[in-house]
Amino acid sequence: MLSTIAIESLKRRKTTAILTLLSITISISLLLCVDIIRTQVKTSFTRTVSGVDLIVGAPSGQLNLLLSSVFNIGTPTKGIEYKSIAALQSNKQVSWLIPLSLGDTHRGFRVVGTTNSFFDHFKYGDMQSLEMAAGSAFTQPLSTVVGADIAKSLGYKVGDKIIISHGLGSVSFNNHDDHPFTISGIVKKTGTPVDKAVYVTLQGLEEAHTGPKHSPTSMLGRKPADKANEHEHEHEHEHDEHTKEHAAYNSEAFTPESVSVVMLGLKHRVTALQLQYQINQSKKEPLMAILPGMALAELWQIMGNVESLLLGLSGLIVICALIGLATMLLATMRERYQEIAVLRTIGAGPFTLLLLIQIEAMLLTIVSAALSFGLVAGLMSALKPWLSSTYGLFLSSPLFGQSSVIIILLILGCTYLISLFPAVAAYRRGLHAGLNANS
Amino acid sequence: MNTINKNNSTHSQRNAVSEEHNAVSEGRNTAIEVSNLQFSYTKESPPIIDIKAWQVSQGEHVFLSGPSGSGKSTLLNLLCGTLTPTQGDIALLAQPFSALSNRQRDKFRARNIGVVFQQFNLIPYLSVAQNINAAVYFASTNVSKTASDAKLRHLLDKLQLPSHVLHAKADALSIGQQQRVAIARALINDPQLLIVDEPTSALDTDARDSFMSLLKDVAGESTMIFVSHDKAMESYFDRHCSMSELSPSTNHIKTRGDEAPKAQERA
Repeated sequence: MLSTIAIESLKRRKTTAILTLLSITISISLLLCVDIIRTQVKTSFTRTVSGVDLIVGAPSGQLNLLLSSVFNIGTPTKGIEYKSIAALQSNKQVSWLIPLSLGDTHRGFRVVGTTNSFFDHFKYGDMQSLEMAAGSAFTQPLSTVVGADIAKSLGYKVGDKIIISHGLGSVSFNNHDDHPFTISGIVKKTGTPVDKAVYVTLQGLEEAHTGPKHSPTSMLGRKPADKANEHEHEHEHEHDEHTKEHAAYNSEAFTPESVSVVMLGLKHRVTALQLQYQINQSKKEPLMAILPGMALAELWQIMGNVESLLLGLSGLIVICALIGLATMLLATMRERYQEIAVLRTIGAGPFTLLLLIQIEAMLLTIVSAALSFGLVAGLMSALKPWLSSTYGLFLSSPLFGQSSVIIILLILGCTYLISLFPAVAAYRRGLHAGLNANS
Repeated sequence: MNTINKNNSTHSQRNAVSEEHNAVSEGRNTAIEVSNLQFSYTKESPPIIDIKAWQVSQGEHVFLSGPSGSGKSTLLNLLCGTLTPTQGDIALLAQPFSALSNRQRDKFRARNIGVVFQQFNLIPYLSVAQNINAAVYFASTNVSKTASDAKLRHLLDKLQLPSHVLHAKADALSIGQQQRVAIARALINDPQLLIVDEPTSALDTDARDSFMSLLKDVAGESTMIFVSHDKAMESYFDRHCSMSELSPSTNHIKTRGDEAPKAQERA
C-alpha cells in the first residue's frame, strides 16, 4: 500500500518527478560511462598483448612505443636498422622475434608489415594464439591477412585484392596502386586491435614503397639455429596446417632495410630486464626496449589521476542530482500537509510517513538507475565501432562489472541519506498533524 | 453540568430536553472519559482546553458546538491522539488512551476511530478504492481481503455510490460523492468511535438533511462526536455539549485565542 501511495503521489507530480528522474538518470549514466570506460580500457589494453616479453624500437617514450606497436595508436617512431635486428635475432636469450613495419593504411585501417612469425607467436588475452577464420598466413610476397572487423565491414574474403596507401589517416593521395595485395587469410575475431589491422609481408610493403628487391639471405623471425631444421621448428607442431601452406613462401627470408618495431619472446622471462638493459645500452644504434607490463603500469599511473578526477566530478554531479531530488520532495511538502494529516488520522504513524517519503525518493533513484543501465548499454553498443576505430578501445562483456554495482549501491545509500531531509520534515509534520491542518 | 438534547425520530420535532446526564448511570459502558484535561500548544501559552470531567456513553451521538476558536478541533485532535494532552487523562473504550505509546495510539486510532473531515480530505491522487483501502491497511486488522472488499461494497451500496466510482480518482468526484467516500473510509474498519468535524458547513439545508440521515443510518451503534458551530444541527443528536460548558475557563477568557498558536505550529 505504501508503495502504491508513493507511486500515485509521484504520478500526481509528474512534471517535477520526470525532470528529477531525468537529471538523476543523466548523472548516473555519466558516472557509469566513466566507470565502464575506465575498466574497459584496462581490460582491453591488458588483453591486447600477452606473451611478448620485450618491445624494441627507436628511442622515444615507452608509452609511444607501446601504443604505436601494440595498439596501433599514435605515430610510429623512426625505424630500427636491419643490423640491429640481426643482432637481436642472434641473441641467445631470444626465442622468437616479430618485426613490425608501420605507417601505411588501407581505407583508414592501419597496415602492419610483418612476417609469418607474427601469426605463429603473437598472443592476446589469456595467452591465446591467433587463429584463421579463413585462408592462411602469407603465401607469397604480396599476400595480406586482414582482421575480422575489416573483413566484415569491407566485405572482404580470401582471394580479394586490396591496395594500401602511404601514410596514416583515412584519406591518402599516395596509393600503391601498382602493388595490389591478395588476401590470403582472415584472422578470427580477437576483440583487440588485430581485428582492425591489415597485415602485409615486409617484402610486399617494401616493394610497394621502393620496388622489387630480393635478399634471401635473411631469416627474419627465425633463430639461426633453426635454419638447419626449419621444418622441425617447435611451432610446427602447433601450426601444422599453415606451416604447410606457407612453406612455399618464407616471409622471414626477406631482409628489410629497417622496421619500426620488433617484438621479442624470450626463452626465459627472467632475463627480460637484463636484455632490456643491454639493448638500452647498445652503442651501435640507439635503441629502446620496453617491458609491455611496465609500460602499461605507467599508462595506468598517468590515467589514474584523470580517472579519479573524472570519477570525482561524475560523483559530484550525482550528488547534485540527488540534492535536486531532496529539494523537489521538500518543496512539495507544504502542499502535502493536508495529505500527511489525513494519513496520520487514518492510522499512519510518523515513522510510516518518513518511510513513505523515502520510498518515493528510492523509487525515483531505482528507476533512474535502471534507465541509466539501459541507456549506457545502448550508448556503448552504438559507440562500439567508433570507440574501437578511433581509440582502439574494444569493449568486452560483461559491460557492467562489480564497480558498477558498487556505484549503484552507493547512490542508493546517498539517496537514503539525502531523502532523510524531506522525510524528517514529513515525520515532524506527522507528529503534529491534526484534523484542521488545512482549515 | 451538561445539557442533554433528546430528539425524537423525526427531524422536524426538535424537543430539546435538558437534564443532568450521567452515561454510566444509564447502564451503558463509557466510550470517552476525560478527566482534568488541559492542553496548550506551548509551555508559555495559556491552555486552550481545560476540561474537568466529560463522559460519553457507548453508542451515544453527541453534538459538540462552539464558535470558531473555542477549541473544538483541538479537542477532536486530542481524542484522535494526533495531539497529546499537556495534563490530564483521556480514556477511550476503557483504554487509557493518553497513556499509550505513540505507536499504540496510532494503531488504536486506526482500528477504533473513524474520522470524517470538514473538507472530506480524501487523498486526491488515489482512487476511491485506494483511499478506503489505505484505512484498512493502516489499521493492520486480520480482516481478509475478501471480507474487506465485501464490506466496501456494502458501504458503497448503503451510501448509494455506484461501483464504478471505486476506480475514479478522488478529485474527479462531485462534492456529494467525496463526502460519502469520506464516510465509507471512516467506517470501513467498523470503528466504535466516529468523529465528524463540520462536514456540513458547505451544504445547503436540503443537502445537509440528506447527509445527516445517511450518516445516522450508517453510523449505527458507533459512538459519534459531531462537531459544528451550527446549533441548528443539535436536533439530530442524543446530546448537545458546548465548548463553553465543557471548557468554561478557556472559553471565558478568549474568543479566538487558540488561532495564533495553531498558526505558529503550522508555520
